[in-house]
Amino acid sequence: MTRKIAFRLLQSLCILLCLTCSFSAPSLAQSGSDPKPLIDALAKADFSETEVLLGKLAATGDTRLVPALEAFNAGDLYFRKADSLVFIGEAAGSSYELIDPLTGASAGQAPKNAVTKIKINNTLRRAIRSALGGLTLLSPDRSVRLQAADALLRSPSPENLDLVETALAKESDAEVKARMEEARAVSLLPSDRSLDEKRAAIQTIKSLGGRNALGILNTVAGTIDPSLKPDLDAAVSAIQSEQQLWDMAQNVWYGLSLGSVLLLAGIGLAITFGVMGIINMAHGEMVMLGAYSTFVVQDVIRDHMPSLFNWSLAIALPVAFLVTGAVGFVIERGIIRFLYGRPLETLLATWGVSLILQQTIRSIFGPTNQEVGNPSWMSGSFPVGGMTITWNRMWIIVFSLTIFFALLALMKKSSYGLSMRAVTQNRRMASSMGIKTPWVDALTFALGSGIAGIAGVALSQIDNVSPNLGQSYIIDSFMVVVFGGVGNLWGTLVGALSLGVLNKFLEPSVGAVLGKILVLVLIILFIQKRPRGLFALKGRAVEA
Amino acid sequence: MSGFVFRALEGRIVIALAIILGVAAVVPALNLLTPPDSTFHIPTYAMSLMGKYLCYALLALALDLVWGYCGILSLGHGAFFALGGYAMGMYLMRQIGPRGVYGNPVLPDFMVFLNYKELPWFWHGFDWFAFAMLMVLVVPGLLAFIFGWFAFRSRVNGVYLSIITQAMTYALLLAFFRNDMGFGGNNGLTDFKDILGFSVQADGTRAVLFAVSAIMLALCLLLASAIVRSKFGKVLVGVRDAESRVRFLGFRVENIKLFTFVVSAMMAGIAGALFVPQVGIINPGEFAPANSIEVVVWTAVGGRGTLIGPIIGALLVNAGKSFFTGAFPEIWLFALGGLFIAVTLFLPRGIVGAIQHGYKARQALKAAAEAEKGRGSAETVAQAAQAAE
Amino acid sequence: MNTIAETRSKSLLYLENVSVSFDGFKALNSLSFVVEPGELRAIIGPNGAGKTTMMDIITGKTRPDSGIVLFEDDIDLTRKDEADIAQLGIGRKFQKPTVFESHTVWDNLELALNRDRGVFGTLFYRLTPDDKARIEEILETIRMTARRNDLAANLSHGQKQWLEIGMLLAQEPKLLLVDEPVAGMTDAETTETAVLLKEIAKTRSVVVVEHDMGFIRDLGVKVTCLAEGSVLAEGSIDFVSSDPKVIENYLGR
Repeated sequence: MTRKIAFRLLQSLCILLCLTCSFSAPSLAQSGSDPKPLIDALAKADFSETEVLLGKLAATGDTRLVPALEAFNAGDLYFRKADSLVFIGEAAGSSYELIDPLTGASAGQAPKNAVTKIKINNTLRRAIRSALGGLTLLSPDRSVRLQAADALLRSPSPENLDLVETALAKESDAEVKARMEEARAVSLLPSDRSLDEKRAAIQTIKSLGGRNALGILNTVAGTIDPSLKPDLDAAVSAIQSEQQLWDMAQNVWYGLSLGSVLLLAGIGLAITFGVMGIINMAHGEMVMLGAYSTFVVQDVIRDHMPSLFNWSLAIALPVAFLVTGAVGFVIERGIIRFLYGRPLETLLATWGVSLILQQTIRSIFGPTNQEVGNPSWMSGSFPVGGMTITWNRMWIIVFSLTIFFALLALMKKSSYGLSMRAVTQNRRMASSMGIKTPWVDALTFALGSGIAGIAGVALSQIDNVSPNLGQSYIIDSFMVVVFGGVGNLWGTLVGALSLGVLNKFLEPSVGAVLGKILVLVLIILFIQKRPRGLFALKGRAVEA
Repeated sequence: MSGFVFRALEGRIVIALAIILGVAAVVPALNLLTPPDSTFHIPTYAMSLMGKYLCYALLALALDLVWGYCGILSLGHGAFFALGGYAMGMYLMRQIGPRGVYGNPVLPDFMVFLNYKELPWFWHGFDWFAFAMLMVLVVPGLLAFIFGWFAFRSRVNGVYLSIITQAMTYALLLAFFRNDMGFGGNNGLTDFKDILGFSVQADGTRAVLFAVSAIMLALCLLLASAIVRSKFGKVLVGVRDAESRVRFLGFRVENIKLFTFVVSAMMAGIAGALFVPQVGIINPGEFAPANSIEVVVWTAVGGRGTLIGPIIGALLVNAGKSFFTGAFPEIWLFALGGLFIAVTLFLPRGIVGAIQHGYKARQALKAAAEAEKGRGSAETVAQAAQAAE
Repeated sequence: MNTIAETRSKSLLYLENVSVSFDGFKALNSLSFVVEPGELRAIIGPNGAGKTTMMDIITGKTRPDSGIVLFEDDIDLTRKDEADIAQLGIGRKFQKPTVFESHTVWDNLELALNRDRGVFGTLFYRLTPDDKARIEEILETIRMTARRNDLAANLSHGQKQWLEIGMLLAQEPKLLLVDEPVAGMTDAETTETAVLLKEIAKTRSVVVVEHDMGFIRDLGVKVTCLAEGSVLAEGSIDFVSSDPKVIENYLGR
């Protein structure tokens, strides 16, 4: 219902913008008085009394009246003969569906002959539009006023000038006031006001910025007084350069967003490949298993406790971690431990594992994409200056960085991290110091796999969950880890983010696919130049 | 020069060559000369299928030359195969002439469909068979040369090299999917009509293609054997086992690797070129990294570092694939995945490698036992026993 | 100045003020070192003194951050790579014996022979009677004639060390760098190795890095002691081993 009202509100704003007559502003002094008797009075009023009533209605500033006024304008306002109460009527066969004009609630049906349409003429129509405009720009509700000003901003017209100025005079809220100022400036430019006022308006629009302001300035550029041309041009170029900055910021954001996805995909690999030196070609399938865990968790929640749906991702995280961690543990104990020191063989064996995992998932869930839902807090977007930020991308960036730093802390600060680094640096020494190296190996591999699984939970929000999900990430993941420098978590972070940003900066000029190819070629060339990646360890030990 | 070739004709290789050439003669003969109801008749589809396997065998042999002997695990050999295939495909497309759906005498159908006004420059010359065949060698060879020149010079090694070869074929996969590359995008090149004026569908053409595949396999096997048994081949194995030793002996390891890589890429290109007319299509899917890895498993199953192993591996695994995908399509990936794991864990030398090794070990034990009679050295026996493990 | 120039022009190998560091750790610190033609020199020093790094620099594996490295007075080794330097006539034996395990002893020597090392040269190479004789000779020298057809993988540790020395001989180098040749050898083998090296040094310069003081005494040559990337002392074994700095840094541990 609220959505319906909002929709009507927008409709009414459009009507407002068609306003052609001068506007007399009702005072806000009577706001708060109950509009119900005023509406019901419409039933018995003649045209001139109706006009007065409309003024009083507008003066209430009660936005609940908008649907009723609109219905009145469209000739859909009726009163019941029996009790002279006023309703919005919608034709339903031979009778009318009656709707309460204020609450929008249904008031039952009435046969056609039981109600009478409230008559209307052109004078009244004008009055209605004025009232509607006043109700929104003068609404006591701050957000409604803001919305009204925004609507004016988007479609400027000199006819609105008086209306805006009236509202502006009464406005006390700073933000709304500023928005109205802008709306006024926008409407002022095409009007016949003085040059000085217009010059000031250009400045206001310039400070407003954005594509919309650019559009307004460009529209009036042809018709504006030549003496204002320099001001206008200066404003246009100022906005354009600002716009370029925002575009760049938006690109950086997209790049960071892609980078965070790469980071998520690569971070598990940074452990298994970067730290342990295991070429795990089944890494992508761990991501895929994580995504499927999310799907299963959501499925169970949908069936049994739909109220928890917004928590589904939080529940899926540990599930995915445990599932993929366990699978990783089994792979390490069952296969990889026999292949230490033979990296190319490990590569082949884990590729075999990846085929088996893919086919298993395909056999259980089928080859098609599975539907994984976004919780409400993951959907939608919000603007920052001249760019738009979607919540899911935002959360994925936050999430990937959180995992990264948690992992970093685990590696650097915990005793487990210490023994893990000891084992990877000098296995025999670590073993003789009482570290259970096989156990550390298995746990580390499980950890890397588990993190890949967690990544899968996040990636399920932005990618298709299918048995092939993992394959699309495996090459990217390796590129990130190799580019960043093997054995260096910071390298993975920098590598992922810079590759993401590079990709997004190439995209506008060469297209997505070619951009990706270029990035691959650049990485190949880069590895030639620095075979050990961005953050390489140097010296004798690693050469050997 | 003659020594180079004669050295190649070592016992097992001669037998293998004889078998392959025998097959090259017998299978087409059984297809063309026996009546369809004869028990000895080989239907054309079966012959083409075997021809396809022979191309795969050649591809595996090419990979073995770099992986088995030089230690370079290329995960991008499918790219060379596909490039050779595209070169052949371009020739075959040009042979369609005005018989395409749109009837354009110059432009292939997909170009008419994509509103090409004229033939892209890189399509010129492909209507000429000799030029196309040259490109089958040159294009993969050139890619291998450029790639290898950079990679080997900067000493990218081991898994790093494997990963960037995979990135290479992946980049090509993405590129060939693009319509504006001028290679038919998604659909690739297909609907071939003639090769050298003979219909590609005709039994006779198929038989010849099969025979040529077998003969090329034999020739490449001979070349590979000659390379491997020359001093160069010994250096190659040296590079695989102790690269820095080779360097400090004064060899230019990067040149050795580069030469081998280019020769191998050209062999893969030949395999691709023979593959395309027999299956009737080439599309970007051939660039998929998974395909290249599958070649690795054929080679591993048969036995890398033996020349005959990869051929046997390719034939066996692909025969298995045809059987499984026909009888139990669900099971195939399980089987293939299991094969990857089983071979690396239990049969690291591959089938032929294991047989050879077992044979050598028995020989060593025998020799040691005799030596013991003579010298009474227990140490030698122990060593031989160790070697036999 | 004159004396420096003179030393340089007479030298086979000339290092002056060579420094190199890895991630801030100074592996070599203004190292200067000269080897004359026909000289047999021993180098001692504690772990991390820079012995192996010095060999890496001479053989082109590592590039120095600063300093001069000259071979035969006029060849700048810092501009050459391993293969170039090997072809110039500098052979190197690694700390860990490195031979081609899947080749026979004979093939190992054949590969090491100083012949055309190009791709096509090796592809069409045929063993000449001269080459055959040379390999036989080396087999004799390293006492492995009987094992010529055995795989190198089946040799004992000491035999592998000898095979590697044999390969270096086949290379016909002017300068031989030998890193810990007797590590893991029996006493008898050690003595024999000393004899072998002395024999080799008759026709070329040899630099031996070794920890085994007994072995160095057996060699009876000029000794250079390295510590923390520079030369600590140089002279006869008795002179060096009585130097208080050497005792503190190395011997007295």
